[in-house]
This record gives sequence, structure tokens and C-alpha cells, in this order.
Amino acid sequence: MKRRLTVDPADAVPIWRQIEEGLRRLVASGALARGAPVPSVRELAKDLRINPATVAKAYQRLTEAGVLAVRRGEGTFVAAEAPALTSGERRRTLREGAERYASLALTLGAAKQEALGAVTTAWEDLGEKGGRS
Amino acid sequence: MSSHDGQKALCLDHVTVRYGKATAAEAVSFSVPRGSVYALLGRNGAGKSSLIRCLLGQRKPQEGEVTIFGEDPWSNRARLMARLGVVPEEPDAPPDMTARQIAAFCSRLYPSWDGNGVETRLRRFAVPGDVPFGRLSKGQKGQLALALALGGLPELLVLDDPTLGLDVVARKALFEELVEELAERGTTVLLTSHDLGGVEAMADRVGILKEGRLLVDEPLDDLKARFRRVSFGQSDATVHGSETMKALDPLALKQAAWGTEAVVSGFSEEAFARFAAAPGVSDAEASPLSLEEIFIALCGEEGGRP
Repeated sequence: MKRRLTVDPADAVPIWRQIEEGLRRLVASGALARGAPVPSVRELAKDLRINPATVAKAYQRLTEAGVLAVRRGEGTFVAAEAPALTSGERRRTLREGAERYASLALTLGAAKQEALGAVTTAWEDLGEKGGRS
Repeated sequence: MSSHDGQKALCLDHVTVRYGKATAAEAVSFSVPRGSVYALLGRNGAGKSSLIRCLLGQRKPQEGEVTIFGEDPWSNRARLMARLGVVPEEPDAPPDMTARQIAAFCSRLYPSWDGNGVETRLRRFAVPGDVPFGRLSKGQKGQLALALALGGLPELLVLDDPTLGLDVVARKALFEELVEELAERGTTVLLTSHDLGGVEAMADRVGILKEGRLLVDEPLDDLKARFRRVSFGQSDATVHGSETMKALDPLALKQAAWGTEAVVSGFSEEAFARFAAAPGVSDAEASPLSLEEIFIALCGEEGGRP
């Protein structure tokens, strides 16, 4: 499990989405604890050498989704609690993520069982570290 | 003029530049919204420098209109240039003047001047303040030019191949400086560069020039989303030129030892799924292309249409 946030600008996945998904993964695995501070937009942009607007976009989406919380004058933190979503919102978010993953698996020519197996493995990997199963 | 011009830092509208009978740029139109980073790409001789000269008011295009902050740089050059920071491809200054003397000279040309910022950046870049310009390395000249360009607190920063001749360490410092400037002031940037990895991390919009014409002008995310390399095996030779192949609409096809590779510029999951399931096609895979690979597909020797 990666404990660092890395981006690959050459990937077809937009950089803001790589950051968004990378931070979600770090939170899900417990590598980033609830309530822990995350780097400022400027620090992270400088560290990854990418446009700060791209980092800001990812942070904004994560804040809107309740994964991150901004405390005025203090900075940005991982939200203290898992985002409170209505069941409809959760279903929609899961479906969007699933569609992206299914397209990826299809374009790689993976079989359905193989693709589902990878989800199970990833779930177990993350769930173990995040204290859920 | 459209009502959007207020949000545009610069705008080119059907700009044509000719040198005698040779056309350097033909009917080029694009605009750069305030606060964005636009990368103008092209091979040597594609017309980038001619367009930059028009933008900087050093040349009047034969046809079309150039505006910076809504004004014509050809007739308002001095006033507009005070709002711009420029790092030219080949920075030039009197060879006997030191960095510090050049900075002092420049400070008088701009209405607001961040002298401390210039000093700090020169220290960070390790450019000596007391060595004559003529004795600085190519990289140091570029770094001095960047420090001076930022010293005038520009609204628009024009970087003409700023990484040319820089080693990896200097290139890293340059991009960090750019990130800092973007985070601090939200400066609009127009950038030309052959360092496509750097562009890929920094630009939010790209234009690709080929032989004077603008082939691409769109958000980088969109450009990368629509390009894929599709590789596949074929059990019979009829796939080529077939309806199946046409539906994929490849830009270029290449036979490799392991099968066929096609670069596709209008990728969609649906069209790909149909192609992969078509008779005669096996093991079809779609993989993303980096900006460099997209650039080569469009501008390389056997490059095709956008």
C-alpha cells in the first residue's frame, strides 16, 4: 500500500482526479488519520511540481464531498468523521467510481471475474488498515 | 469585440504572419483566459516565435487581430509591456552589466517593482549579482530573465522556451518558481516549451501549431481524454480498411511484431468495445498517451490530422 501521494502527469487520468483519488485512498487506508492536517495547496503543488489550480480543484472537490474540511486560518484537515452522505448520494458516488473502474477493466481486456477479484483484494487491503472489513 | 474579452488576458483572432512569400502562421485564433496557463507547442519553425513577436508588439500581423487585455500591442506597446513579464528564448543584455545593475535599470521601467523578490530569486537560483551578464552561463541568463520578468509583478507572464539549455536542477527550480508565482498571484502564463513533461504538469490548456496552423486548442485534460493507443492482434488481414477499422478512425497505424498499433484521436469507450468485439480482432487494448506521445502523433514525420 502506498503511503505517499504521487501523481503521473503523463497518465490519461487528469491530475486533479489522481490527487482526489490518491487522498481518498490514503484516508481510507488510515495512512492519513481523521482530523490530521493535509499539506497546503501551495506546498503540495510545489512538492509535486504541478499547477496549484489543479491541487485547489482536487481539494475543493474533496471538501465538497466531506472528505476534507477547511478550518479558517488553520488550514485543511481530513474530516473528523466519514462524510455523511444520503443513501442516494452514496449510491451515485459508488456507481460513478464503479463505471470508471469497469471502463478501465474493459479497455484492458480483463474478464469480469478477474476485475471483481481485484476489487475484493483492494477492499481487503484497505479495510484491514482502515480498521474495517 | 465579445463581452468575454474582459476575462481574456490575450486573444488572437485569425492572425496571419508572412515573411515575403513564406507564411509563418496562418489564420491562428486562440485566447488565454486570465489566471490560466496556456502552452503553445510546435516543432521548430512551426510559427511560435512569429506569433509571440506579434503578441509583444514587435511585429504587426498581415491579417487578423491581436489583443492583450483588450488592447492592440502594436499601437500600445509601451503601456502594455509594463503589465507583462517576458522571458525570451535568448535573453539579451549589455554584456558588461552585472545582474544587479540590470535589475536596477529594469526597476525604473516598471510602475511597481519587487526589488526584494528579485534579490531573493537570484539568491535562490545562485545567480551571482556582481558578474557581468556576458560571463553568465546560458542557464543563469535564463534564471536572471525570469527573476526580472517576475520583478515587475506582471499580470501576464510570457515564457518562450524557458527550460532550453537548463540542466535538471535548474529546471526543477524554474518550475518551483512558477508554481510559487501561480499560487501567490494567480498570474496568467503563456508558455512555449519543448519540455512536454513540464508542460503536462503545468498547463491547463494547450495549442499545437504545425506548419503555421493551429491543429489543437483545448484543455489538456480533454486532449488527453480523447487520445489512445489501441493495440490488437488480427486473425485475418481484412480488418484493415474494414468498416470496423473505420469506426475506430485511427490517426496512424503501425505494424509491430506483436500486432497492430493504432493511434486514435476521438476515443470513446463504446466505439472501442464494438471494435474489440468485432470479428478478426483479438486482444484489443487501449492505453493512454502522454502529451509527448500525442505531440509526436500529430507533428511527427508521419503525423496526421488532429
